[in-house]
Order: sequence, then C-alpha cells, then structure tokens
Amino acid sequence: MKKLVGILTIMVVASLLLTGCPKATPAAAKEVKITLWTKEGEADNALQFVKALCDAYHAQHENVTFEVVNKDVETLREDFQTASLAGMPPDLLWTVNDHAGPFTTADIIQPVDNLFDLSKYVDSAVAAVKLNGKTWGVPIANGNHLMLLYNKDLIAEAPKDTDELFAKGKELASGEQYGLVWNQTEPFWLVPWLGGFGGAVFAEDGKTPTLNTPEMVATLKFLHDMKYDAKIIPPESDYNGADTLFKEGKAAMIINGDWSLGGYKDILGDKLGVAPIPKVTATGQWPKPYTSGVFFMLPKGLSGDKLEVVKDFITFVTNKDNQLEMVRKLTRLPALKEALSDPLIASDPILKGSAEQMTYGTPMPTVVEMRCNWDAMKPEMQAVLADTKTPQDAAAAMQAAAEACIAALE
Amino acid sequence: MSAQAKLRQERTAFYRFFHAGRGDSPFKRLLIHLALIFSCVVAVYPVLRVFSVSLRPGNRLLSTSLAIIPDDASLGNYIRLLTEKDFLLWIWNSLVITMATAIIGVILAATSAYAFSRWKFPGRSAGLVFLLTTQMIPAAMLMVPIYIMAARLKLINTYIGLTIAYCVSSVPFSIWILKGYYDTVPIDLEEAAEIDGCSKISSFLRVLLPLSTPALAIVFLFNFMTAWNDFMLARIMLQQEAMLTWTLGLQRLQGQFQTEWGMFAAASILVMVPVMSLFLYSSKWLISGLTLGAVKG
Amino acid sequence: MGGLTPQTITRSLGQVGITVIFILVATVVIELALYFLLGKALRSKYTLPFMLVAPAAIGLALLVVYPIGFEVALAFSNMSLKTFKNPTFGLVQGWNNFKTVFTQPVLKQVGFFPIFFHTVLWTVINLVFHVTGGMALALLLNRPMRLRGLYRTLLVFPWAIPQVIACLAWRGEFHFEYGFVNVMLTRLGLTPIKWLTNPFWNFAAICITNIWLGIPFMAVIFLGGLQSIPRDMYEAAEMDGASAWQQFRNITLPLMQPVMTPAIILGTIWTFNNFNVPFFINQNELETSDILVTALFRAAFEYNRYGFSAAFAIVIFAILFIFAVLYIRATGGLKGVYE
Repeated sequence: MKKLVGILTIMVVASLLLTGCPKATPAAAKEVKITLWTKEGEADNALQFVKALCDAYHAQHENVTFEVVNKDVETLREDFQTASLAGMPPDLLWTVNDHAGPFTTADIIQPVDNLFDLSKYVDSAVAAVKLNGKTWGVPIANGNHLMLLYNKDLIAEAPKDTDELFAKGKELASGEQYGLVWNQTEPFWLVPWLGGFGGAVFAEDGKTPTLNTPEMVATLKFLHDMKYDAKIIPPESDYNGADTLFKEGKAAMIINGDWSLGGYKDILGDKLGVAPIPKVTATGQWPKPYTSGVFFMLPKGLSGDKLEVVKDFITFVTNKDNQLEMVRKLTRLPALKEALSDPLIASDPILKGSAEQMTYGTPMPTVVEMRCNWDAMKPEMQAVLADTKTPQDAAAAMQAAAEACIAALE
Repeated sequence: MSAQAKLRQERTAFYRFFHAGRGDSPFKRLLIHLALIFSCVVAVYPVLRVFSVSLRPGNRLLSTSLAIIPDDASLGNYIRLLTEKDFLLWIWNSLVITMATAIIGVILAATSAYAFSRWKFPGRSAGLVFLLTTQMIPAAMLMVPIYIMAARLKLINTYIGLTIAYCVSSVPFSIWILKGYYDTVPIDLEEAAEIDGCSKISSFLRVLLPLSTPALAIVFLFNFMTAWNDFMLARIMLQQEAMLTWTLGLQRLQGQFQTEWGMFAAASILVMVPVMSLFLYSSKWLISGLTLGAVKG
Repeated sequence: MGGLTPQTITRSLGQVGITVIFILVATVVIELALYFLLGKALRSKYTLPFMLVAPAAIGLALLVVYPIGFEVALAFSNMSLKTFKNPTFGLVQGWNNFKTVFTQPVLKQVGFFPIFFHTVLWTVINLVFHVTGGMALALLLNRPMRLRGLYRTLLVFPWAIPQVIACLAWRGEFHFEYGFVNVMLTRLGLTPIKWLTNPFWNFAAICITNIWLGIPFMAVIFLGGLQSIPRDMYEAAEMDGASAWQQFRNITLPLMQPVMTPAIILGTIWTFNNFNVPFFINQNELETSDILVTALFRAAFEYNRYGFSAAFAIVIFAILFIFAVLYIRATGGLKGVYE
C-alpha cells in the first residue's frame, strides 16, 4: 500500500512537473510585444527603473518584449487620446491617477476590478482611481504628495504649527535667505492649506466646485499673510526658483513632493529633515496634501494574449521585491500593503517622514471637473500672491471660472 | 560758409551715416561700431548664459552670478551627456533625417519654383496664393489629423512619414524664395542655351541652377533648420528608443518637475553646432540668396 | 538600448534609404502618369510645368488638404471628451461651435475679442520692432567696414538657435531672483520686476523675447535688398540736394517695397501664429498674455473641446486670410512675387 501511495505520489508529481513545465515557460508559444507608455523621465532615474523592470521580466519570459516610450505627463494624456482616436493605442500606460478622469470620460481605458486582486494594495491608493463605482488602475507607487522638507543646518526641528512656522520663518528670513519656499505658481501647493482650514475643492458629490467658501478665503488670506506680513517667502517663486534656493542653502524650509526626496538627499545628506506640513493653528487641523501616486492603466480594447501578459507583468512589477526596490531606487512609497509595512520604511527617517505626511493626505480627485478647478484656482491664487486681488474677490472669481469651465466641457 | 551750405553738409553727413561707408569720420565710425557691438552682445548673451549653465556642476539652473564661466566650471555635464545618455544616437538620427529632408526639399522646391518662375500655366497664381495660405494654418491644429493619417498608413515609427512631412512643410517658403531668385536671373541666358540646342530641362540644370547657388543654399539651410529643430511632428511620429531625434531625447531630461538642467544646457549648446556651422558656411550667400521679391533699380 | 552602435547606424540609414526609394518611385509614377496624360493624350503645352510642380503639389495636398478637411468636419461636430467615441455631425453643431467662439469665454475667463486684441497688439508691436530694428541693423551693416563679417555672424545667432531653447533661455533671464534684468536692477538698488505674475510685464517679456528672435531675419532680408539698390541713385539725389531722410524716404523705401511687403506679410503671419514664445515664456498661464494660437492649443488639448477648437482654428485662419488679401490689395505689394 505504501508503495502504491509512493508510486502514485511520484506519478502525480511527475505529471505535475510534466504539465507544469510548458506552463511555466509559455515562451515557446507566442511572441508578444508590449508597448508601454510611461510618464517617468530620466531626470530622477525613474525611466531607468521602468526599463530595468521590463528587462527583468523579459529575462524570465523570453517571448515578451517591451517598447518603453517616455512621454511627459501632459503629452502622454494628449497622445493617448489621439492614439485611441486613431485606433492604435499602446498596450499599457504607467501614469498618474488624475488621467483616469479624462480617460474614463472618453471611454478609452478599461476597469481592472475583475482582473486583479486589489485588496493587496493600500486602500487609499486604490481609492485614488475609483470612479463611477469601478477601479481604473493598478497602483505602483503611492504618494506624489507634498511635505515639509528642511535643512537641519538652518533649522534644527520642523515647526509644529503655523504660528511656529511664521515665528521661526521670520527669524530665518534675512537678506538673501528665506524661511520657507514653495512653488507659488501652482495651486497644487494651495490645496494642502485649504484642507488645513477645513475646506475642499468639491462638494460631497465630488464634482460641484466649492471654491467660494470662507475656508478658501481664509486659506488665501493665510498665503497672503505669509508673503506680505510675515515675509517668510520670496516675492516671486516658481518651482525651479524654490528648488534652487533650497539646494543652495538659501532657504531653510521647502514644501515639495516625494519625487524631490532623492535629489535633496544627494545634496544635503543627513542634513535633510522631513516632516508633515505644520498644523494650522487657527483650526487645529493638519494640512491635507493631495496624494495620488502612479498607476498602470489598460487601454479599452486590450484583450487576448496581450491582456494575459500585461496582467502578469503588472503583478510582477508590484510584487514585494520590486516594490521595495522602487523604495530604494526612487524613494517613493510602495502601493503594496506588504511592502509598506516593511521595516525598510520605518527605519529610514526620510521615508518615515514621508509616510507620516501621507496619513494626513487626501486622494486627489480624478474627475475631469478637477481640471477646471485647477485652472480656476491658478490665476486667482497668483493674483492674491501678487497682491492685486483680495482673497474674497479671488475666491468668488475662482468659483465663477470653474463653473464656466465645467459648463463648456459639455 | 552759408547756413544753407552748412545744413547741406550736415545732411550729407547724416546720409553717409546711413548709406555710405566712404569718408565717415572716425567718431561716426566709432558710434556705428559701438551700436553694432551692443547689438551683438544682446544677440549672443542669452546663449552665453545657457553655456554658463552647462558648465555648472550639480544641476543648478539658476544663479545670481552673472559670470559666464562659473568659479567651479567643469565639463562634467558634457561628459555625462555623452557617456550616460544616448546623445550621440539622437544626434545621428537627427542628422540623417535632416540631411535627407534638406536634399529632397531643395530638389522639390527648385523644380516647382522653376515652373512658377518661367511659365504662366493655368492655376499658377492660385498656386502661389495657396502657398501663402498654407503658412496661415495654425500648426498645432494639424497634429491630430496628421497623427491619425500616419497611424492609418502605418507610418508611425518610420522615417518616411517624418521626412515627407518636413520636406513638404518647408516647401512653400522654399518655393517663394527660389522663385523670387529665379525671377532676377535674366531669361535670355536660358534662351541662348536653348538656341544652342539645350532642352528646357538641361538649360535649367546647366544655366539657371548654377546661377542660383545663393538661393539654393538658403533653401537648404531653411529645410535643414525646419527638420533639425522640429519637436511637434517628431513627438507624434517617433516612439522607439533607437529612433529618437535630439529634440525628443532632450525632452527626456525633463521630468514632471525635475529637470537635469546642466545636461540640458550642455545638449542645447552642442545641437547649435551643426546649425551654426551651416550658417557660417553659407553666410556668403545668406544676404544675396534670401530674395523674397526683387528690387528693380 | 546601447546608444550609437553599428546596428542603430545602419538602421537609421536603412530607414532613410527606404524613404528615398519610396519618394523616387512615387515621383517616377506621378511624372509618367502626367507625361502620358497631359503630354501624349491632351498634348498640353503646359505639360512640363505641371510635371515640375506635381510632386510638391501632391505632397502639400496630402499634408494640408486632408488635415483641413478633417478640421472642417470636426468644426461641424459636437466632439468633446464626453462624446469622444461617437460625436454627431451637422450644421446645428457647427453653428453652435462658431457661435460659442464669439460669445463664450475661449479659455477660463477671457473671451475671443480680448484675446484677438492681444494678438493684434502682439503682432503690431513685434512687427514694428522687427522691421525698424531689422532696417536699422541693415543700414548700419550696409557699408564697407571692418569686422562686418563678424558682426553679421554674431547678429544671426538668435535666428540660428533652436527656438524652444531660446525660449527657455529667456525664461531664465526673466526669473525673479536669478534673471539678468532683475539681478541688474537689484544691484542698482532698484525694485526688481515681477515678470511672471504682473500681466503688463509678462506681456512685455514675451514681446522682448520675440523681438530678439525676429530681428535677424528681417535684417538679413533688408540687407539683401539694400545691397541691390544702385549707389548712383543716391549720388544723383545728393547732387540735387536731397537730405539723408529724403533719400531714405524717396529712394530707399520705395525701392525696398518689393522686398518689404512680402517680408511684412510673412512676418505678420508667423508672428500672429507664433506658438512657442507666448506658450513657453508665460509660465503662469496668464490669460492676458495668451494669443489666439496658444488659446487654441489650450482649448484643444487641455480642455479637449475638439469641435469647438476646430471652429476656432478656422476662425483664426480666416482672419489671417482676410488680412493678407486686404494688405495685398492695398499695397499691390505682391506684384514682385506674382508676376
């Protein structure tokens, strides 16, 4: 009897091996070529990382080859729409979550709920691509959020609240040196504060703009005070200006995103500190930067062999090892729960600071109406910062512009 | 000296300042040179600033220092560009496409302009108006339809579509210049050649073309610049890594927020070299060849 | 991918080879067809000119006519992001699109007419400076002098460098902290200018950049014209006692007209449709610095209002077309080109 069991076991194992073999290497089967469009550029080594992943996958599955195409975020959106119109979209997108809005409206990507086990990914990341009850992307990295970075040579500890920020900022601002810098041209830098004052850009329904609110007025007034009362930020500052000032040690603090961590770490080393954006004293609430992160999105018509390969590739990219590799290479927070809880993150002060900030974050809306909100906020925020409009007028103008824009979308 | 004579002398001096070279006073010449030197500085300075960025190590775009050669100048950005990036490949691809475009574009324009200059065929003036109208179309609007057309004709990721598009897009201006130039060449010369037994085509090739070298050089230069500097068309037509042109390659140095400005500036300086050398080489034809319309003295 | 390797070199050459062969074959086919059709069948005396024009004409037709047809069709559709896959076409949609161009904000807040006004202002300012600056440089250079070649070479720099790079370089010069002008102003103890956020100075910044870019072209064209004016005409005028200004007015300007008119028409069209400068310098996307083509680009690609933006594009085209026709009528200036 034992012998029989033994023989049977061997036979089962053997048959498993035999049938298993061709399954493990469908290489002999079909050549599949995947065109992947990614928003990752070479500047922060992210494109190299994407290519390395593709090469690693190709090494395991020789029948699969990749064509990695790098396109700037806006270009990627425009070109994907055009390519879909021409009926020749790429096979896979590696892009930001807010593209889900336009792409679902245009009906050119497919939901992924039935293709992947989404429960293994961080909930807030998955939530960032949920629209109309479906999930439209698989998260790769989580974050893309703003946080407070500081130069420990100039300021030992990050301020706890905005009062302290102003007080310390005033001490630090002198001559060519500024207390705080940030990109004053983009409303992406306004939204965290709006959250801190208890406001949000959309009403409960997620698509009606609520820009003319007391919270928005308070936020704009706060930013105006930061510049004209406390005088802790430069009179005019775009991304590159803020970045350069911080790199040159002429700014004690900067509000910037997780994408910039790697670059600052290279220059400042141990002197780089990371903390949440200081709590708003007036409300006692933490500012809420938008979190979004990076996602895989699948074009609408993708099916058959290509879909199978793409599914497998996505699972490969988001496995624990590769997620941790991404943390090491790009200093971004992983989207896989298992990787996020890894000690690698808890032990690194910079990543820990970034992760802490993210807990206060809020997912960036993906609806197409958000584009209108951005465009409505941008000039008005700039006008307040240029001292040419009052916060009240600016907030009213924002709302009017956003409504007009949404009406034109129809 | 009477007041009138004095006035006349002043006027003559004023005339000389603008029109003549002979007999300018040293002071006047100094003024002219100063004005020109000032203009040259204004023309060149922004480029020098780019050069300065390219010499700054550590990716610093901005600096309050106005020195062209920074204290810590290094060629690091150039070395990294040439070793870490596929810069040479991008330049090679651009060069190949650009040369093909310029040569084909010149042939295309030279022959068409010949017809426009020497025959009054039906549809000729309509054709010339059409050439002008093509310049009025906002280029950004052509991108979507061109992409769709190229995708349906399977011309994405080939040089065929791109080269043809470049040639054709610079053809209107090229024809305009060449026709203007041909018009200044007396037709008698060709007629004489035809009496000697040349055909229309061979008198064109043997008489008119050699006489039109300046304009041909300018048209070559224009075609070259169109193709060399283009970004919009290349962006939609080329995707494969091995096929990228320098404009596309350079764009990769720009991230969503982060840009490698040092290498970007170094690349900008290097890509100016071919165009500048072409300008230098053709500078003797630049003035005489760019004939939009003939001055009839 | 391995950079510049023998494979990539041969690959590029192969691609270009295919291109050349393709164009050759296509040309031969077209020419033979025309030869037999016009020359043999119709015996037209214009066979040769038609054959000469054909390749360029067919190329242009493909590159321009199809896209224009496409745009016209789009202008009569309601295509937007929401009707991306199945837009409806019709006169009603067309009417709506064209009506919207004139009645509703083209961008966020600014409507068609203010932007049109910016565009005209932008074109006039640039053209005035291009023409006067170009003429001034041409007059300065139009004399035998030392260093003339060097000046000429340095002066064409703005024209020779890729426009996008020039724009980025200038954008750096307009930076609040680090730009050249503001650094100079600060050193002189003056208040630096807010180039990015102040609408007036932002508009000034884009104008300065474009004036810088455009002067060399005009200077070169005018210099060519000046050089072909016979010197003895001035000498004769001088003997008649004409002042320098009178000579310029009565000899230089009229004789330069055949050169200046096409240059001005082309300059106007190019400036009116200049995308790079207003787009790249205006980092804050101030609507007061937008001109029609940048507004068009934003409407089309940032808001995906395809039908609307196609109608908008046609309106822009029509404006230029009407301008060109009126200008040519008024000056009779293209005689030199058309006859």
